[in-house]
Amino acid sequence: MKSFIVTRSQINSLAAELLSKNWSIFTQSEDRKRFKQCESESEISVDGNGKPSDVSFKELFFPKSETLFYFNRDNEELTLLDPAEPGTKTVIFGAKPCDAASVPVLSKVFNWDYNDEFFNKRVENTIVISIACSYSDESCFCTSVGLSPFSEIGSDLFLIPTEKDSFILKIVSEKGEKFINEFPFMIQKEFEGTFDLENQKASFPKEKFDFASVKEWLGKNFKDEIWNEVGELCLGCAQCAYVCPTCHCFDIVDENCGVSCGRRVKNWDSCQFGLFTKHASGHNPREDQSRRYRQRVNHKFNYYKQRFDEILCTGCGRCTRGCPVSIDIAQVLEKIQCKQSAAIV
Amino acid sequence: MNQLIESAKDIFQNNKAAIIIGYTKDKSGRTKPFIAHNSDEAEKLTFNHHAVNNLAVYLTRLEKPKDGKIGIVAKGCDIRAINALIQENQIRRDDVLIIAMNCNGVVENQNEEFSKENTQIKCKYCQLRTPNNYDFLLGELEDFELPEDSQQELMNKLEAMTPEERWNFWESQFGNCIKCYACRQVCPLCYCEQCIVEKSMPQWIETSSTTRGNFSWNLIRAFHQAGRCIGCHECERVCPMDIPLTLLTRKMGMIAMKEFNYKHGMNINEPTLIGTYSTSDNEDFIK
Ligand code: SF4
Ligand code: SF4
Ligand code: SF4
Ligand code: SF4
Ligand code: SF4
Repeated sequence: MKSFIVTRSQINSLAAELLSKNWSIFTQSEDRKRFKQCESESEISVDGNGKPSDVSFKELFFPKSETLFYFNRDNEELTLLDPAEPGTKTVIFGAKPCDAASVPVLSKVFNWDYNDEFFNKRVENTIVISIACSYSDESCFCTSVGLSPFSEIGSDLFLIPTEKDSFILKIVSEKGEKFINEFPFMIQKEFEGTFDLENQKASFPKEKFDFASVKEWLGKNFKDEIWNEVGELCLGCAQCAYVCPTCHCFDIVDENCGVSCGRRVKNWDSCQFGLFTKHASGHNPREDQSRRYRQRVNHKFNYYKQRFDEILCTGCGRCTRGCPVSIDIAQVLEKIQCKQSAAIV
Repeated sequence: MNQLIESAKDIFQNNKAAIIIGYTKDKSGRTKPFIAHNSDEAEKLTFNHHAVNNLAVYLTRLEKPKDGKIGIVAKGCDIRAINALIQENQIRRDDVLIIAMNCNGVVENQNEEFSKENTQIKCKYCQLRTPNNYDFLLGELEDFELPEDSQQELMNKLEAMTPEERWNFWESQFGNCIKCYACRQVCPLCYCEQCIVEKSMPQWIETSSTTRGNFSWNLIRAFHQAGRCIGCHECERVCPMDIPLTLLTRKMGMIAMKEFNYKHGMNINEPTLIGTYSTSDNEDFIK
């Protein structure tokens, strides 16, 4: 698909026009905590150099609490009421490649044996404009999970900064193409050169582990002391799961809204909580943190690959940066890879 | 930190403890919790200005070793937590071996150098830079005046607000909560086998992250820390949404001091505030 040259001020004009047409616009907050909604085009951040937000943009597709329906009982009569249709038209400006890549990964599970219309509607209504990433720190590992600072997966449009305030705007998806065609001022100057990706590779974060070896080891070693080593230190919060762009577990509960009415709601949940697997009998098959951490790693780097042919991780490093006890998931996987290499020779 | 490694090795060699909970530096240079099980592993122990975690949390989380005590490296604020756990009958003094560190303060950001100005808030009003309960005391104390307590200003501001303004302040803060429960999991005093939010038959506290659900959660946790919080600021440090949780717990600690002249975790022989009743207790603040 085509590419164009755009300037920062054109991007601002795009945002201004969207706002005037009542689109919702999200971008990384200044403190890089999360994605926030913008009220003015001047707030949008297209910064390839910035740190990934502490909390991913997942909540824009999969909110932390989402009403499925309301119920109301009037005498003996029970009525059900749909919640408002999700998803005003939304554009996310300045997502990282490791943010964007999570959308197709999540889509697989949300369209597995059941199509989650809430999730799908939000994806359908959202345009993801990502930006090539020039940040990396000790927690990043996108290159170990098949992505890179230039991955376009999951983006609709992709920006590559060239010189100051100037970008190459690549059209990535059909949805992106249809969208940008509505804004002719964005597609006036076609980019006809070729962008030399090879040149950039030297500055990519270096690969920390070989995914195939890790997966192979996980498939064969359910019981191993490594789980005790990590499990002993892991405190079993859900920080890692809740900041993660790909973790997607939820719990469905009923809550009252008044004496005779209530709602059924879908809330984030995590396999790191003891309650997650606790049976009504009191028995808990994942009774300690080592088993729960093992589940987390297997789900991401083994089971999800088997079932959906995707890695349930984009290497953004959020879980590591935020972990209260600094457990570095890439270091755990590196160790696993060493175990696998040792097993081969 | 040779002194620490030497002591730790000596502890293992003479079977004074079965494990030592301490800190290590990982290969990316992060200082983080670490458990040494033998004198080889003791080589990896370290203590520095980035040793922020309150390791006392592990005392109630780990299984008690069969063959000896739990050794623990502890700063003043961690000692307060250990003392509090002893006062609350969660651990016995004889079951722990405390390797206390004289502490000049800790810096939260691993990439920042230490200066007394950029330490965590708790260090700016610390009264236990030299721990008061230990088996060994290591480290050197630098002599300096504590810098200004930067939390005080916000506390005063909240104090001056009308109840409505204060409600709005907390509504905007708690609104961000994602219910990851990291605040609870790092808290040395949130050791309940079943936390109230896990009481699900029926559900006592809503699990939804909505204004109502978040208020229920954040307030109940704060109340459970009334007069118990020992001020390690771990909850606030780990909150991914940066909610200033210690404003509440610290305030309640100040009330406990003012009304009952009580500070938790300072003396293992003192009965707990919540666990004692005295007819001379001050009641005039109950309105
Ligand atoms: S790995 Fe870290 S963030 Fe995840 S549950 Fe364990 S302590 Fe919490
Ligand atoms: S509060 Fe006191 S003991 Fe704790 S880290 Fe700060 S200076 Fe050290
Ligand atoms: S750590 Fe913060 S976001 Fe997580 S549950 Fe506690 S208050 Fe909420
Ligand atoms: S409430 Fe917060 S500051 Fe108080 S003891 Fe618990 S973690 Fe530490
Ligand atoms: S919030 Fe309350 S019930 Fe839950 S662990 Fe803490 S003290 Fe216990």
